[in-house]
Amino acid sequence: MLLSLLIWLPVLGAALIGFWPQNLSEQWVKRLALIVSTVLVGQTVWVISQFDLSQSGFQMREILDWIEPLGLSYHLGVDGLSLPLVVLNSLLTWIAIYSSPAKTIRPRLYYVLVLLVNTGVTGAFLAQNLLLFFLFYEVELIPLYLLIAVWGGSKRGYAATKFLIYTAVSGILILAGFLGLTWLGHASSFDYEAVQTVVSTLPLVLQVLLLGVLILGFGIKTPLVPLHTWLPDAYVEASPPIAILLGGVLAKLGTYGLFRFGLGLLPEAWKSIAPLLAVWAVVIVMYGALAAIAQHDIKRMVAYSSIGHMGYVLLGGAALTELSIVGAVSQMVAHGFILALLFYLVGIIETKVGTRELSALNGLMSPVRGLPLVSALLVLGGMASAGIPGLVGFIAEFLVFQGSYAVFSWQTLLCVVGTGFTAVYFVILLNRTCFGRLDSALAYYPKVVWSERFPALLLAVAILFLGVQPYWLVHWSEPTTAAMAQMAAAYETAPNLMSVKAVAQSFTDLTNRDSLSTNL
Amino acid sequence: MGIDLMPQFWIETIWLVPCYSLLGAALTIPWSPGILSRTGPRPAGYINLLMTFCSFLHSAIALSKIWGQPAQQVYFPWLQVAHLDLTLPLEISALSISAMALVTGLNFMAQLYAVGYMEMDWGWARFFGFLAFFEAGMCALALCNSIFFSFMILEILTLGTYVLVGLWFSQSLVVSGARDAFLTKRVGDLLLLMGVLALWPIAGTWNFTELAQWAESNPTLPPGTATLLGLALIAGPMGKCAQFPLHLWLDEAMEGPLPSTILRNSVVVATGAWVLIKLEPVLALSPVVMTTMIGIGAVSAVGGTLIAIAQIDIKRALSYSVTAYMGLVFIAVGTQQNEAALLLVLIHAIAMALLVMSTGTVVWSNITQDLTQLGGLWSRRPFSGISYIVGTFALIGLPPLGGFWALLKLIDGLWGTHPLLVVVVLLVNSLTAFSLTREFGLIFGGKPTPMTVRAPEVLWPMIIPMTLAMGVALHLPLILQTLNLLPDWAVLNKDAALVLTWSSILGLSLGAVVYLNPSIQKPIQLPVPSVQKLLAADFYTPQIYRATIVLGVAILSRITDWIDRFIVDGFINAIGLASILSGESLKFSNTGQSQSYLLTIVVGISVIGLMLVWSILPV
Repeated sequence: MLLSLLIWLPVLGAALIGFWPQNLSEQWVKRLALIVSTVLVGQTVWVISQFDLSQSGFQMREILDWIEPLGLSYHLGVDGLSLPLVVLNSLLTWIAIYSSPAKTIRPRLYYVLVLLVNTGVTGAFLAQNLLLFFLFYEVELIPLYLLIAVWGGSKRGYAATKFLIYTAVSGILILAGFLGLTWLGHASSFDYEAVQTVVSTLPLVLQVLLLGVLILGFGIKTPLVPLHTWLPDAYVEASPPIAILLGGVLAKLGTYGLFRFGLGLLPEAWKSIAPLLAVWAVVIVMYGALAAIAQHDIKRMVAYSSIGHMGYVLLGGAALTELSIVGAVSQMVAHGFILALLFYLVGIIETKVGTRELSALNGLMSPVRGLPLVSALLVLGGMASAGIPGLVGFIAEFLVFQGSYAVFSWQTLLCVVGTGFTAVYFVILLNRTCFGRLDSALAYYPKVVWSERFPALLLAVAILFLGVQPYWLVHWSEPTTAAMAQMAAAYETAPNLMSVKAVAQSFTDLTNRDSLSTNL
Repeated sequence: MGIDLMPQFWIETIWLVPCYSLLGAALTIPWSPGILSRTGPRPAGYINLLMTFCSFLHSAIALSKIWGQPAQQVYFPWLQVAHLDLTLPLEISALSISAMALVTGLNFMAQLYAVGYMEMDWGWARFFGFLAFFEAGMCALALCNSIFFSFMILEILTLGTYVLVGLWFSQSLVVSGARDAFLTKRVGDLLLLMGVLALWPIAGTWNFTELAQWAESNPTLPPGTATLLGLALIAGPMGKCAQFPLHLWLDEAMEGPLPSTILRNSVVVATGAWVLIKLEPVLALSPVVMTTMIGIGAVSAVGGTLIAIAQIDIKRALSYSVTAYMGLVFIAVGTQQNEAALLLVLIHAIAMALLVMSTGTVVWSNITQDLTQLGGLWSRRPFSGISYIVGTFALIGLPPLGGFWALLKLIDGLWGTHPLLVVVVLLVNSLTAFSLTREFGLIFGGKPTPMTVRAPEVLWPMIIPMTLAMGVALHLPLILQTLNLLPDWAVLNKDAALVLTWSSILGLSLGAVVYLNPSIQKPIQLPVPSVQKLLAADFYTPQIYRATIVLGVAILSRITDWIDRFIVDGFINAIGLASILSGESLKFSNTGQSQSYLLTIVVGISVIGLMLVWSILPV
């Protein structure tokens, strides 16, 4: 019941807003949406409090038969992989609604769509039936398309259509993968566990093929280079609250799908192509960071930064150690918070200063005429993204690195180099935006009021708190990720992080092959 | 409470010291712009002075209690995840608490100095907050007994350097200085991170004590592994200690406020040396690493002093001397003389702090740090002059002050085994003596210049810490004597002491002959201008970086961007989406949203419908 409420409450709220008989003032529409979202956050806290940390499998299950001949059932559950993402979704939706401008065109439609996106995403995270997941995955797409197309920037039509087409293709690929898995494996239904049990009967080549289809599908959503071209346009053209949702939560549907259905359903195939994935991860990290360095628009820079960070998630998944997987899941959450903060601040800068161009921005740290707090938080966000310890980005990346080093040493080291490039573009961004001399002849910016600062402060506190106390970041997912790693480990005798001896052995083997010396 | 319990109380609560500082840093927040404006920003500074004094007091008391006692280990569990136990080990020893006392004492002086120096500045809250932040980081580093947590602290301090150097962010040189400081140190940090990552699978621990035991047990490592590991591990300290080729940042960091330079030049650079010393047993596993360390140290030491002599900016000249002395520390660690290294770090910290404070008063009262515009200040600012002389004598190998004993210890250790390195140390000592005399001559000697004619008295908050530091520098040998840290006269290497003293006298007198002699025309021109230019321009390091690494990254990023625009995106467009996209976007912008709704609904329904149909078919 708990999980269903989480999914259907926003629908209820949306219906309320959408079908309210009288005219609703903009203020009231927003207030209503905010109330619904606040209740949702409270409910998420409730779910957290009911979550049993000793279990690695799905909890709080709800099973209802729906269309039995199809194999479609209403089957929900939550585990350590989905719980942090559900929480992230609730929080960021709240922030998106809170930070939506007071005056928008068609406010009722806007908030209805935002709430529907929330439903779609939560539903996808909680669905334990492949078809149900697909339904929710598609449900989220259309409102989001409209949110970009109607409330976006100047090139919104182009961006939204590109987004729509890409994500539709992604949906089709995922559906094809799901259908292939279920039918070829002769599963009794589309239920996650039903499919899971039959997958191992498939020949490995077929498994790899299906995995390839799924990776392509979720890779578009994540996105993984070179399937990413929709992202910079969509993120940049979307209004700041929508960009927060897109980058903070929506992208996580992709990584979630990769871990849940790629790694979770096809561990053997996943393992067999893991070296390939690790190299791909390096390419993504480097590509995202290097492309970000070349950008002139700060929002675009943050968008490319987001692409690069998905590489760490992929690396952690590829390495398949307990540490690397828990690191990857932590990275999803950490990235969600950091990206939300960055997009939020960039949004404030854009509305106050009127530009996102690096060449036009200058000296915002100035205490009198500038935006000092926004600048200070931008430093914090940038540094968190660059992986400075004490902030949430570091510990997630570190767990990925330490976990994957034993398996893919040179790939890991190259990803460490990638964090160096991350520092480069953030220093460029901060130096141009926050530092420098503010032109006091031009600097008549509207004041940033406390209600505007509040969401940024909230995110900053989360980033700092989880960086200093990472226990609260990792321990939700640890049992589940450990089970995932063990499941994958069963398929082959591969280096296991738990035994230091084995790792040391593999390390020596590696160096004997001189692979390290060429890459350190 | 029994009287026996009290000492343990001070020792066991020593971890509070970084917390005081951190609290002080946090307490500056109300005075950041736009919150508390009625009081002005000054209370932020006073609070931090108080907190730092608490830190110092606690360290000093704990030091007196723990002296002569064995080290204690305290553990703070931080994170246990997937069989990786990240517990913060603290080593409470006489050494670590001494380091904390040094850091907090120097920071107290630097903060008091800043009260005067930053009199007119509006960024007090930020400045004092960052200083306290640095102090907290360094105290934590002193206690921290794990390379992983040390790495974390070093990297956080890298961020600290960025914001502290960038304090006066509206000046372009400051901005580029902050950038280069951050990125150069980050390069070192990331290599160190690679070392940290690689160390775990091999050694199974990050604890310094356990690492030393592990290294002593002669683990069988392939030489290549040991070398690469060691090289990665020394990269972090190289960046922190401003060693060639990662030395550029220290010079540029001089654009930051001078009171922070007191801290930076004395103890912040020493954070690298500290970690290096702690890692020495691991580094010693590879002879190549030790040789590399010696090589880097020697190049930095000689190169640094030569460059220092060619600088006309007083702060930059001093910063290169810092590089040089940290080079000597590298040599000491490279030849496994950890005690000499620690002693060097200690005397360098105090002498350098004194030198920076002394020159700071000159900069403050003459509004220039250009050596060519200074001169004739001896009669006007004698106190600064005396401080400068004491600082000089305390740094170089001149008995009876501290520098002599540290350098003597180093030379003594090198005497029979590394004659070449003895020559290097003596050369560096001579050149440093020359360099510091040169600066003294240009500032205090000669005739007053238009800039120095007025030279008003500086504020007392600057004089007091300078005097204090002078007192400490003068008494340091006595303190060391009472702690039995100085060698006995009977076992003293008399030859070494003699050459060391003579090398200092040689440098001093040569400097005096050239720079205190009015008949020699200043500025001095070397017979070979290109050599002078080479030194003045820091071996063209900035240009070399710009032409290699910076250019490389820029080109790579351009190429990536080009590929992204024209190949990845272009390819997508070429396969037919282009026409649809451009057509659709045109349609949306012309005729409003209605079609787009229609389109989406159609697409949505058809996708779902298709799915339903597909799944029904085989049933």
